[in-house]
Amino acid sequence: MPEILIETRDLIKRYGDKVAVNSVSFEVYGGEVFGFLGPNGAGKTTTIKMIVGLLQPTSGTVKVAGYDVQSQPMLAKASCGYVPDTPNLYAKLTGRELLRFVSDLYNLDRSQVARRIDELLRMFDLTAAANDTVDSYSHGMQQKASLAAALMHDPKVLVLDEPTVGLDPKSARLIKDILRQLADRGAAVMLSTHILEIAERMCDRIGIINKGQLIAVGTMDELRTLDKTGQTSLEDIFLSLTGGAEETEIAEILK
Amino acid sequence: MNASISSFAHVPDARVLPAVWKLLLLRLRITWNSFRHAKLSNKIGIIFITLMLLGFGYFIFSMSNLLLRFVRSPEFVQYAGMNLQAFLASIPALTLTTLFIGTLITSFGVLLQALYLSGDMDFLLATPVPIRAVFVAKLLQAILPNFAFISLFGLPLLFGLGASSGYHFLYYPLVIVAMIVLVLAAAGLSSLLVMLVVRVLPPRRAAEILGFAGAIIGFMCGQSGNLANSLGEDIQISGTRLTGILLLANTRWLPLNWAGQGLVALGEGHWLTGTLLLGGTLGLASVAFGFALATAERWYYSGWAGMQIVTRKKVTRSARPASPTAAGIGHGLARLLPKPVLAIVQKDFLTLTRDLRNLSQLVTPVIFGVMYTFIMLRSGGEPSAGRGEAPDWFMESFRLVLAYGNVGMSLFVGWMLLSRLSGMGFSQEGRNYWMLKASPIRTSHLLASKFIVAYLPTLGLGFVFLTIISVVQGLSLLEFSYSLLAIIMCLAGMNGILLSFGVAGANFTWDDPRKMNAGVIGCFGQILTMLYLPLSFGLFIAPLGFAKFLSYPIAYGYLFGLIFGTGIALGFALIPLWLVRKRVERLAEE
Repeated sequence: MPEILIETRDLIKRYGDKVAVNSVSFEVYGGEVFGFLGPNGAGKTTTIKMIVGLLQPTSGTVKVAGYDVQSQPMLAKASCGYVPDTPNLYAKLTGRELLRFVSDLYNLDRSQVARRIDELLRMFDLTAAANDTVDSYSHGMQQKASLAAALMHDPKVLVLDEPTVGLDPKSARLIKDILRQLADRGAAVMLSTHILEIAERMCDRIGIINKGQLIAVGTMDELRTLDKTGQTSLEDIFLSLTGGAEETEIAEILK
Repeated sequence: MNASISSFAHVPDARVLPAVWKLLLLRLRITWNSFRHAKLSNKIGIIFITLMLLGFGYFIFSMSNLLLRFVRSPEFVQYAGMNLQAFLASIPALTLTTLFIGTLITSFGVLLQALYLSGDMDFLLATPVPIRAVFVAKLLQAILPNFAFISLFGLPLLFGLGASSGYHFLYYPLVIVAMIVLVLAAAGLSSLLVMLVVRVLPPRRAAEILGFAGAIIGFMCGQSGNLANSLGEDIQISGTRLTGILLLANTRWLPLNWAGQGLVALGEGHWLTGTLLLGGTLGLASVAFGFALATAERWYYSGWAGMQIVTRKKVTRSARPASPTAAGIGHGLARLLPKPVLAIVQKDFLTLTRDLRNLSQLVTPVIFGVMYTFIMLRSGGEPSAGRGEAPDWFMESFRLVLAYGNVGMSLFVGWMLLSRLSGMGFSQEGRNYWMLKASPIRTSHLLASKFIVAYLPTLGLGFVFLTIISVVQGLSLLEFSYSLLAIIMCLAGMNGILLSFGVAGANFTWDDPRKMNAGVIGCFGQILTMLYLPLSFGLFIAPLGFAKFLSYPIAYGYLFGLIFGTGIALGFALIPLWLVRKRVERLAEE
């Protein structure tokens, strides 16, 4: 049985009267890529932020690599890498300085840091821009720098919010390959995406959240059995579970 | 043909003015929406300020009308012994010249923002709106606030002059026409200047440099009064000499003066001269505006002044890894600090010094310090101890306290620097704060790193300033050492207060560093430190005065000063931070 590396139990996040995330429970195992899908405003980013310790849940628990994010935040965060949907990075640091900074935050051994930085810069094709400040990077380069920073400490758990947005096909492919390799090495990879083909092709299991509630979790085959309409593609299943009627209506208008 | 464009869209209207009108209405709608959705207190504030400004305009009009009538009166001419008619006639030319140059300078930054950094240019240029209309709308949006501000002073003054001089009624509308045309010409030229600069520098860098230069010049202008007072008689200029200079500036050789001179001529009924001068200026300004507009839009559209030609900037100095030494921290201290603390300190020093917009806020205390050191050097650094009529014990104690009082200036300079570094220590992280929050850093380490980032430079500045003061005032080694200790402790307490309030009022959603201090909580911190500073420093020096007064050995004064001063400073350095430690864990979650 693979190790549970992300575990949420009855996770709730309220903003005043609004319930952003409502009693969400799921697990992500080591060695798997878990896709987290949902329409805009469904609660994906809020859930992810609670997992990586950026938001405190109103109630419920989150465990990362077996550590409770609220009571053992240091250990949980040290096991986790995070790539946000918008790569807000320190604009006035160079790519190399940024990675060195992250390595110090994670208390990495200095003797190995330089080699690790060079490795990551090479892997993400950022070596030529390593000594340029981040504000001169394109969106795609910043996204790659953000992923490099998340991988700096070789985390057991990697959480990515929309990792392929703004990336060219080559970079998107590179990221997909890296995530697969990480999972194959035993790490848990959780990613949210709107690109259902990516989720269908990459993810071992998929969770679908709608209006703050987790409405389905499982492998593609399990999701197919959940959907009573007998749909086979993830897109159809997703639309069927989250209410695809609106989309059909929009498509009619645009015809 | 229409069907091939779209099922719904009509053939685009290529006329410029209706498009400009539409764009301006859109801006008006955005402004109105911002006002409508503002908090009630903000709405009341805006209405109050608007009414105040209108009242201020009327006040300037009335005052200039009254004053100008007075200086024209035979009584004043007889009393003052000089006729100011020629000087008064130069007011329109000077006002319009100031308006032109002021607009040229101030609209540069606004146009840079509007044309390159606002983010809506791509959207507007992709819509079927004439590019000229977009440019004109952007120009008008950029110059309107500055025009309104300058007009607030200029228009009542010129109207007051007209009213007091009994000028022809045509003078009034022509003043407005002249102002508008000159402002448009200045903005047009400014837009060309913006595009030339952006050709050489990336827009964000240009904005940083502009922000830096603006802040420094603004601060120096603000302090120029103090400096002028200090320089005293050296720069005194008599009224007659000043009038002479102003008259000389109103020469007919400068085309910028023609509009003002033309307005005066028209007001006085010299129709031919007035029409020639004013008409000439308006014609020249219109040509300049037209030329600038045509050139600017062509440059922008052809990509000549585009950002895409700018290559990525190399930070050559960072080619070598930034070491703690490079960031200004000694290796010894670096070894003492935990790695995450050192990393944040190092990162903060790098980001603070590389962003010129931050640097302008940090340089102002240094300028302030240099200026007051200069003033102190001129006065010989001797504290004024009155006329010596008080008893000897009082004079002795007072002299001692005053000697240390000047040392307090180091603390004031430090306060200025700490307000920025410490008060905004967390806010300066901005949208990047997630990197720290998602990392395994202890709250105590985070607070310690922010404390050090603010404390070290302030201590350095305080030390330099104290050394200069000590040399100027001839302080003994004991007095210097005691003052240094007092500064070290007082600054630590001040840092604790400001950092805590910085945590309480942290704002991570700014885009421009100058706007990171969004709330009022930071102001409370500054107010509290204004109370803390005399208390804490007073506890260091008051025992010295008491020791003298009670004829005890001065060593007792130093001892009690150290106990009381250090106690209170340490308390303020640590307790507020302890109080906000839980808050740190919840930062950026709202």
